[in-house]
Amino acid sequence: MARLSPAELRERLERDLPGAVVETTPLQISPPPAHGPPPGPYSTDDTLVAPDLLVEAACYLRDQLGYAFLSDLAVVDFLHAGLFELVYRFYHVDGGPALMLKIRVPRANPRVPSLTPRWPGANFHEREALDLFGIIFDGHPYPKRIYMWDEFEGWPMRKDFPRQGDKYIGEDE
Amino acid sequence: MLHFELIMLKTEELQINIGPQHPSTHGVFRMVVTLDGETIIDLKPVFGYLHRNHEQIAEQNSYLQNMPYTDRLDYFNSMANNHAYAMAVERLAGIAVPERAEYIRVLMVELTRILNHAGALGFLINDMGMWQTQLAFGMREREKILDLFEAASGARLMCNYFRFGGVARDLPPDFVPRLRELLVAMPAFVDELERLLRENEILIQRAEGIGILPKELALAYSVTGPVLRGSGVPYDVRKAEPYSVYDRFDFDVPVGSVGDVYDRFLVRIEEMRQSRRIIEQIIEQLPDAQGGHINPKARQNVRPPVADSYARIESPKGELGFYLVSDGSTRPYRYKVRAPSFINLTPLGDMCRGYKVADVVVILGSIDIVMGEVDR
Amino acid sequence: MTSQIQRGNVVTVERGARGQRVPGGGLLASMAVVWKHWQGSFRKNDSFEKIHGTFTMEYPEERPRLPEAFRNMPILLYDEASGHELCTSCFQCQRICPPQVIHMSQAKDPVTGKALPALTEFVIEYDACMSCGLCAEICPFDAIKMDHAFELATSDHAGLTLHREQLNRPISYYEGIAPNMWAEVKDSAFKKLQGNIKRRPDVIGMAPNLAEKIAARRRELHPPELVAAPAEEAKDVWSAKGGTDGWSAKDATDGWSAKDATDGWSAKDATDGWSAKDAKPGEGRESSAAAEAPPMAGAPAAPLDDKAARLAAIKAKNAAKKAAEAAQLPPAAPQDE
Repeated sequence: MARLSPAELRERLERDLPGAVVETTPLQISPPPAHGPPPGPYSTDDTLVAPDLLVEAACYLRDQLGYAFLSDLAVVDFLHAGLFELVYRFYHVDGGPALMLKIRVPRANPRVPSLTPRWPGANFHEREALDLFGIIFDGHPYPKRIYMWDEFEGWPMRKDFPRQGDKYIGEDE
Repeated sequence: MLHFELIMLKTEELQINIGPQHPSTHGVFRMVVTLDGETIIDLKPVFGYLHRNHEQIAEQNSYLQNMPYTDRLDYFNSMANNHAYAMAVERLAGIAVPERAEYIRVLMVELTRILNHAGALGFLINDMGMWQTQLAFGMREREKILDLFEAASGARLMCNYFRFGGVARDLPPDFVPRLRELLVAMPAFVDELERLLRENEILIQRAEGIGILPKELALAYSVTGPVLRGSGVPYDVRKAEPYSVYDRFDFDVPVGSVGDVYDRFLVRIEEMRQSRRIIEQIIEQLPDAQGGHINPKARQNVRPPVADSYARIESPKGELGFYLVSDGSTRPYRYKVRAPSFINLTPLGDMCRGYKVADVVVILGSIDIVMGEVDR
Repeated sequence: MTSQIQRGNVVTVERGARGQRVPGGGLLASMAVVWKHWQGSFRKNDSFEKIHGTFTMEYPEERPRLPEAFRNMPILLYDEASGHELCTSCFQCQRICPPQVIHMSQAKDPVTGKALPALTEFVIEYDACMSCGLCAEICPFDAIKMDHAFELATSDHAGLTLHREQLNRPISYYEGIAPNMWAEVKDSAFKKLQGNIKRRPDVIGMAPNLAEKIAARRRELHPPELVAAPAEEAKDVWSAKGGTDGWSAKDATDGWSAKDATDGWSAKDATDGWSAKDAKPGEGRESSAAAEAPPMAGAPAAPLDDKAARLAAIKAKNAAKKAAEAAQLPPAAPQDE
């Protein structure tokens, strides 16, 4: 299969999966600093997909385009912009650079359909996202925490998680 | 003739814990196993006992300060972790690496591969009950390589050797002669390892046909490294998306056919041979490499532009990747590690179903996990 | 699944057919390998080209030959010839330290209060140090280097927090353990040191354990007709009280008595507590604290330099003038200063 560039992928998705592709707006990652110029916005070439059509888009990549290897699911917490961005990274079995699908979900209600029933490799990735960020994956067969113990409260990797003085860690640690 | 009737005993399923304190679970790793007699019905891996919050610590540190922490991820192969992180930051900040530095980097990673496989096979054999014979032999070869790492970087295991734009220090003058000595011993070591184990009846009984991961499932489960290649998929990041100077070397990619423990064992042995081949080519090409051991214009306190980057390498355990998001400051905004051991554990339940309890440890050993990576 | 890979092949590993194996043959081959190793283990391995033979190092009778680059814990360097420490307290190592175990404070000029390129205190918590060596790599003055000593185990936990006196080592020590690495940086380090010595007044920045050198330097800088002063070590004395803090118009005239000049300081104190044995962890702190107490008692009264003396005289004059003005003017008149 030919190596697709992100622009070509976007074109194909727009053509074959209507409604999947969402406009990519640049994000302001951090609030403007006290002094000095504000850093530029965070913009990306990768295709932004609507969360509801994630599973279809991923399966399209796998079945139609041959990108059958889901390598990584990374979650980025954009506190200032008020959303989570999930980055799904796919590789083609014959090799070559990756194609990413990105989803943005609001921080207040982070629900994403789970890829695990159709793609077992996403299992641990989604559990990690749940454990560390609190993102709910609808349809995951075993939605339990993976690193922290089950009774832990809070989502540790979120930017607003207190780094000190938690109920588990005293103020002086 | 008496006619015996098999009376099926009424049995119950038993759920037991294997670990977390267990000599054979490769660290603090727990498996909740549902058993019917000795046969496994279901297995759920539970980990997080070594969770050190590495990713959040990395968000508080600058990019250079994170380098020693990456050593401690897969603590067996610190050079490989360093390499992947250095590559990710270099992609993010646009730092070029001189040729000689690339050769040194690949040399270190290939030596790491040899020492990882020597150790991993030793642990696997130990898990099978052969009581550290192979482990002791493997550790002896590891010691020789670790002495080389100590001469180059200053520490045996936590090397902290890579910097952005190259490596911290050039190779000492006695490095290559000592390396040559070692390379003379290497074929003897690998051949002996094969002779010790390959036809060994006990190993075959315990490894052949155990823990089979079929090809289609392997890809669906996103496993990488020797586990994937043992199942027959010839995917090696060094060939699939060549990085650094790997496209200048001739080496083969060994794959298995069945996908059982025996195949993964044989794949690792063959990879050791291929690593040796790469090292020989490096020694030949190193004197002609241009540049120094580091890019003189590279700043170690990088302040990359607002962007994201991902870099992956073929670490001895699989595909190790670092995903970095920068917000324009000297600290990463998001730092994520794609750890191969973590993802390779996904099919553990499927691989163990139907086998006996004693096989669980062997299958786990053949996946070759390191808890530092799994839990971060 | 076929794939085109460049410069190599995809090789399927040979499993060997089950039926063709000689029953028991594999076990015999394994035993042959083990036998060979066992036989070989009675001889010492003479070359790494061979895989048989023992190369066990019988520690502690045999010591390991550590390579130059070996890093265990950081130490500070000082130059024996001049007695000055190379460290200028630039805080680079403190900033780069990933576990943040380095803490230091910078010396201040006793007169102007400006920062000097010298230390007053330097602490490293050895128990949390991860031996990454970033501090040694980043030091612009080659003052902090990685030591080779690894036999540091102790049952005294507090003794693993080391202070400046315990961390100090002469340059000859480091040159002995890492000659090539020192030779690379020697010239630039000495050049920077000379520059720093010029900017350090009095004995500030000298290694505290070199009592004779400090005394000698002090005699050199202040010939004996000027009052010989207390503070044997330009330490907290100056930074705590500052150059002009704790001064009052009263002290300006009182502080010059010969009595104060020698109170609290004697030649005995100069050598007590500063011997080389204090360089070991866990012991130095108490004796150095004891030696500090007498000087600090008499300290705030008498500054050293003649520059300081002149400044003191000017201040005294100003203070006297202000007191005179205040006495003359009616108290109700507001003074906005």
